[in-house]
Amino acid sequence: MVFSSLLFLFAFLPLTIALYYLVPHNKWRNWVLFVVSLLFYGWGEPVYILVMLASIAAAYGFGFLVAKYRETNVRRARIWMTVSLCTNLSALLFFKYANFFIANLRLIPLLSEKLAPIEGLTLPIGISFYTFQIMSYTIDLYRGQTDVQRNFIAFGTYVTLFPQLIAGPIVRYRDVDDQLTGRRETLDLFASGARRFILGLAKKILLGDAASRVYEYAKASAEFNATALGAWMVMIFYTLHIYYDFAGYSDMAIGLGRMFGFRFLENFDYPYIAKSITEFWRRWHMSLSTWFKEYVYIPLGGNRVGRLKQYRNIAVVWFLTGFWHGANWNYLLWGAYFGIFLMIEKGFLYKKLEKLPAIVGHLYALLLIGFGWIIFSYTDIAAGWRCFLALFGVGTTGFSSPVIRYEFLHALPLLVIACIGATPYPKRIWDRLGEHDWISCGSITPYGEERPITEDGLVLSKRGKVVAVLTTVGCVLCFVLCVAYLVDSTFSPFLYFIF
Amino acid sequence: MKKAINLVTAVCFLTLVFAFTLAFWILPDTAFSEEENRSLAQFPEFTFSSLADGTFSSEMTDFFADQFPARDFLVGIKALSETALCRGENNGVLRGENGQLAVRKFRVYKSLLHQTADIDYYYRDNVALSLDALNAYAASETRPLVTLLPPRSVDVAASAFSYPTEISDELHSQIAETLSPDTGYIDLLPLMRERYDAGDYVYFRTDHHWTPEGAYLAYREIMKGFDLEEEILPLEAFTVEEIPGFRGTTWSKAGYKFVGPDTIRYLSPGNEDEFETTCLSVKMVKDENGKPQKVKEVYKSFTGWLNRDYFTAKDKYAAFLDGTHNEQLVTKKTADVTRERLLVMKDSFANSLVPYLAEHFDLVIANLTGGTANASELAEEYECTRVLVVYNWENLITAASLAAIK
Repeated sequence: MVFSSLLFLFAFLPLTIALYYLVPHNKWRNWVLFVVSLLFYGWGEPVYILVMLASIAAAYGFGFLVAKYRETNVRRARIWMTVSLCTNLSALLFFKYANFFIANLRLIPLLSEKLAPIEGLTLPIGISFYTFQIMSYTIDLYRGQTDVQRNFIAFGTYVTLFPQLIAGPIVRYRDVDDQLTGRRETLDLFASGARRFILGLAKKILLGDAASRVYEYAKASAEFNATALGAWMVMIFYTLHIYYDFAGYSDMAIGLGRMFGFRFLENFDYPYIAKSITEFWRRWHMSLSTWFKEYVYIPLGGNRVGRLKQYRNIAVVWFLTGFWHGANWNYLLWGAYFGIFLMIEKGFLYKKLEKLPAIVGHLYALLLIGFGWIIFSYTDIAAGWRCFLALFGVGTTGFSSPVIRYEFLHALPLLVIACIGATPYPKRIWDRLGEHDWISCGSITPYGEERPITEDGLVLSKRGKVVAVLTTVGCVLCFVLCVAYLVDSTFSPFLYFIF
Repeated sequence: MKKAINLVTAVCFLTLVFAFTLAFWILPDTAFSEEENRSLAQFPEFTFSSLADGTFSSEMTDFFADQFPARDFLVGIKALSETALCRGENNGVLRGENGQLAVRKFRVYKSLLHQTADIDYYYRDNVALSLDALNAYAASETRPLVTLLPPRSVDVAASAFSYPTEISDELHSQIAETLSPDTGYIDLLPLMRERYDAGDYVYFRTDHHWTPEGAYLAYREIMKGFDLEEEILPLEAFTVEEIPGFRGTTWSKAGYKFVGPDTIRYLSPGNEDEFETTCLSVKMVKDENGKPQKVKEVYKSFTGWLNRDYFTAKDKYAAFLDGTHNEQLVTKKTADVTRERLLVMKDSFANSLVPYLAEHFDLVIANLTGGTANASELAEEYECTRVLVVYNWENLITAASLAAIK
């Protein structure tokens, strides 16, 4: 199930809220979350619930062994940690990557007949996300950064928690450890969660999906008439689509979490205002970058080793980052692409960029990010390469065609709104006018910086009150508008007359 | 202040969520949507196997979408919002001057299993296949043949939009260049455009079909194509009957609730009572020797060519010929002289040509889009002396039925 669906909004969500707040105690509330999360997950592919439960059980069980030995016998603890991690990773490897490996091994002449792709193997939703969450528990436990979780339901709730289950943010165990058993739901947190959820829903439906339609159109049109403007539209609108889609989803996850008393870390921090690739990855999908930094980069030695080893570490992390995004060559290429630019920036470019005017850094970063999204969006690398060349007029019929121009002009208002919305300015102005941050209050940045939940003694001027009311009214309107778009997308006139 | 705002926010959010939810479960389910012209999904039957293989959840999703409260209203809200964003179109439908609507983006035919996303380009090669099939058929056909490929609203009403005519022109010239003289192809686009620009009501604003007046223009061209120019009935021979309140398929697709309806100005020759329409179905039955044999059965017949019930429903164009049927005959009940028989291989555009053509011919009408009709066989069977092909541009780019003509 996805958040941006009528079924979620008007069947799953009310049911969950009602059940959750009807049962009295935190212990039972975890039961509610655990059960509804399984329902949420199993909707559509019920069989994969078992895969997830097996992964949870393994990490839960091995967790006791890791905790038992970590004080007395580090070697044993390490062995059990490795066993636990391998169990989890094997599920990920099998379901996500088996057919990719087989397909590539089949390219070797001798193997092509002996190997056959595994049929009926579909990717269990969210497996990349929850596997990483589970692994963070085992590693933190081994490192002594957290205590063993004896309550299976509490641990199960951590992994299956539906807000972040299928698209993140990847919540580290130690960040929510206390919240699993001792969280407090308050009206303030619920309200700020509702606002955040609606904001995310609007980002996803009103901007992300709208940008996606322009992108799909430009991509499909390029097959008939490749133009430079068309290729730029593919790049720009995909760049906007993936940001609003993903950041919107994270907003919804964070908002839903707050409705049930959880406070998750932020996942996006205006990534497109970055002035370098290094900065971009500090702002984009932060929970993933943090995960790789913490569990791969630093254990490899991080920055505290020689230059050459640092480059190796970057290469390892970016190979894995690319591969994590999908079992396809284009994702590997995409990871390698960023890895290379990160190395160059580490080498000399980052310092150079800092000295140049900001505009140079912005242009440099945005172009490279955009090119990156072309690699990312075309699973067919050759097609991606054609699109890239078309940006510069190579292999095109011309700069544009009348219909492409028409489409571009009519997508301009969307483009302007989406570009402004990707900067911090609208929110900054709104917060300043309102004298309070209604949207992000209660959130925590990945660096542990907490934004307080609205304090009790908040005093607002007249203007602040107006803004507060407008925020609420805006939320209501946005919500209704989102529902209208959702309903419209299911509206399918059957024009049988044509047939 | 803080408490009040947060309380109001939480209450608003919960009210919205629970209100829609309650309305959904309390309001009675609808069986059919006139607006969309299709049956709506009902509450799915629950079995453990349907749950396990995922059909239950997908049916539940459909049920939820189809039975959602205030559906039409919300669709209108979305259209308004797109208008506010200056999109100039909604769901691939352009909105132009005088409330003229026209579908711009189509699910184009790519291959048997593949249709594209909504785009305005089309596959030249697939259209060429259809046109070549028509050429081949025309070369083998000895009877006089006229081919009419009605353009789409977006082609005819181009002046109502700022949308470029790039694709229209491309399709127009491909058709003109590919079709051989044998096909008796009549190029309708310049004529229809000229009349549209002159303010004539030749295409509906809210439906993808031509109006009776547009069909009359096409009828004149057909008669000229058959060298029967002197028999053409003048417009004055018909009396106008107005059927207001027609909101067509394009209107439904667009969601622009503020665009007003069309009026069907039906041109009546006044002698409908003298005609009868019969609808035939074909069955394969084995004879004594076990050989399969085609048997035709009349399953519906009515006087004239209109089913007036449709004039009071939403789908008013379906009044012509009672909508789509695979095989129909329109004959004069009391014919003193034997009349010529005309075979019409058609899509729905031809339905509104019937009132004019029936005055001259007995009509054997076969639906091209069904994909099974065989023109040569039918012409033989009914001893037709002329053949007319009517197949509009939208079908040409979104389907491959014409490629099967023989």
